[in-house]
Amino acid sequence: MTPFSYTKRTFLREVILILVAAVFCIPLYIVLVMSLKTNQQISTTPLSFPLHPQFSNYREAWNGTADLTIYRALINTAIITVGSVVLLVICGSLCAYVLARRVSKLSTGLYLLFVTSIVLPVQLGVVPIYVEMRNTGLAGSYPGMILLYTGLFMPLSVFLYAGFMRTLPATYEEAAQIDGAGLRRTFVRVVFPLLGPVTATVAVLAGVFIWNEFFMSLIFLSGTHKAMITVAIYGFVGEYASQWNYIMAAVVISIIPILAFYVFAQKQLVRGFTGGIRG
Amino acid sequence: MARVALEGIGKVYPNGYRAVTDVNLAIEDGEFLVFVGPSGCGKTTVLRMVAGLEGISEGELWIGDAVVNQIEPRKRDIAMVFQNYALYPHMSVFDNIAFPLRNQRVRKAEVRERVMQTARVLGLEDMLKRRPATLSGGQRQRVAMGRAMVREPAVFLMDEPLSNLDAKLRVQMRAEISQLHQELGVTTIYVTHDQVEAMTMGTRIAVMRKGLLQQVGTPQMLYTHPCNLFVATFMGAPAMNLLTGRFEERDGEFVCLVGEQVMVLPPSLLGERPALRSYLGREVAVGIRPEQLRDPRVADPSDPVLSGRITLVEDLGAERLIHIAVPAKPVLTDDVLEVARDIDASSVEHLNVEATEHSVTVISRREVRGSIAPGELIEVALSTEGLQFFDLNGGATIVGAEPADRPLGVAAADGSQA
Repeated sequence: MTPFSYTKRTFLREVILILVAAVFCIPLYIVLVMSLKTNQQISTTPLSFPLHPQFSNYREAWNGTADLTIYRALINTAIITVGSVVLLVICGSLCAYVLARRVSKLSTGLYLLFVTSIVLPVQLGVVPIYVEMRNTGLAGSYPGMILLYTGLFMPLSVFLYAGFMRTLPATYEEAAQIDGAGLRRTFVRVVFPLLGPVTATVAVLAGVFIWNEFFMSLIFLSGTHKAMITVAIYGFVGEYASQWNYIMAAVVISIIPILAFYVFAQKQLVRGFTGGIRG
Repeated sequence: MARVALEGIGKVYPNGYRAVTDVNLAIEDGEFLVFVGPSGCGKTTVLRMVAGLEGISEGELWIGDAVVNQIEPRKRDIAMVFQNYALYPHMSVFDNIAFPLRNQRVRKAEVRERVMQTARVLGLEDMLKRRPATLSGGQRQRVAMGRAMVREPAVFLMDEPLSNLDAKLRVQMRAEISQLHQELGVTTIYVTHDQVEAMTMGTRIAVMRKGLLQQVGTPQMLYTHPCNLFVATFMGAPAMNLLTGRFEERDGEFVCLVGEQVMVLPPSLLGERPALRSYLGREVAVGIRPEQLRDPRVADPSDPVLSGRITLVEDLGAERLIHIAVPAKPVLTDDVLEVARDIDASSVEHLNVEATEHSVTVISRREVRGSIAPGELIEVALSTEGLQFFDLNGGATIVGAEPADRPLGVAAADGSQA
């Protein structure tokens, strides 16, 4: 191995990468800057640095609109997101375990069905889903939303879990079998812990998406007290005037929990994407 | 502890591939049986069938006094050490060893006690809290052994457990496993494709080839009385020397022509193996172990002698390996080529070169005495009791009075041929 030397090329590369990173930061900058201005400043000087930061925007945003406080919306979103993610992890890993390990025509067919559904636009099914959920009384409830999001993400979850499972040597399961573990114990004690990285991947991908989801939330929950954060923020968009400063402040508030989660799970996430297991 | 019996065991995969055919074998209580053979000979499949990880297509498998064909692995009272150890990476060493006990719902205090005791035996006490990823190869091997031992199973199954270790460690672990077997006395079935491992560890060895059991016997018996060319070439390092010879009768004497050289065979040899007479005028494979190629000065004067040119001398300290090029035809039957291929593709090439150059390299293993150099001519005496003759057609050893077409593996299984 040659020792690392800091050449002009390296320097150039670093500059380019820093510039790219800066570009990625622009939206965040805009959101932060706008959240600290008055609505008037936003229309006159939207991108300048706020000289008199309006921290009161955050207080106003926190109180939300008449129907829904941001606090309440955050709780709603957390319940639905966590519920969906937990269900996704349980169902996805169990389902993929069987599909990846029991090789048969049926399992291949089912797997293909799951993979195909990844690319199907879900919006096509919204009307029948809505009708059905209204009939069963699930519309506008936590369990209904959790089921809906779990269904939406099952294909991706199964796809990721099954892909990872196939790289996992079957010897761990065989060893567990010989060591006297039954099927359930083998899964719970041996297989599921080994799926850690991909569980993190599924949790982050689905978690971030559901947290930020707007369309389904708007259709199924708007007007109820169970609306999610995105719908609550949308409440600041008026028919005649939008309070952009409050919107941006609310956006910042809504980003914080999911960002914290992402940072927490990041290490696992990268391993899930790159695959493989050390042992 | 238990006796394991395989009765007509066979394996056919759903795609029609036949991996194992009609294996009949009884492994006695407390025995250390080694399955050995080149890659793809079906030895691992047999082990996996005994473990229950692979369905049994044909025959019956007995463990103790029950047929276990349809019994789940966890109810067979077996423990297995895998080639890659399969230690659970997310568990500590303690948890890995405790896993089989916890599955049996053993009380906490007893789990602790038994894990500690196993760890003591294997010298793992200081690393019980560590994860497998932080252990060395030898330590992982020991943990895998511990996980198998802690349950005190009726049968140990080991699937090439030493193949991932480097050479020195392998020798050490080999001894440790043998030692453990002596102390615990548990019936053990061990799969390896290293014949040295098989020779040193097994109380008996079962040699397999292409899904068929070739011969079962003690290491000594397989070495001195291989039932066919395949077993003869596969067992032993350096390998058995093989030359093509031709039996003729000259001046009332029974001789074997190797290249241009004439070896006179003593009448006693024919007395012991009368079947040789039926090969008069035919070619056979002549096999001789390296240590049976002696210095003529110390050998029996009646022993036939071959001469050749030294190509290489390897001094190993206590002994010396002399490579000698003898003008003769190499033996190129399927079995010999298969063993060569299993070593390396270049070994097959080497045999082909020997065939075109009409020169076979034989190795003589003897004491270090005086000095010799490559290029010199040398004579070697062939000790006749070590001489083996094989039918070139099918490779069976030519023994006794019977024709050499006895079914493979069967006659040899009880060791009565010796």
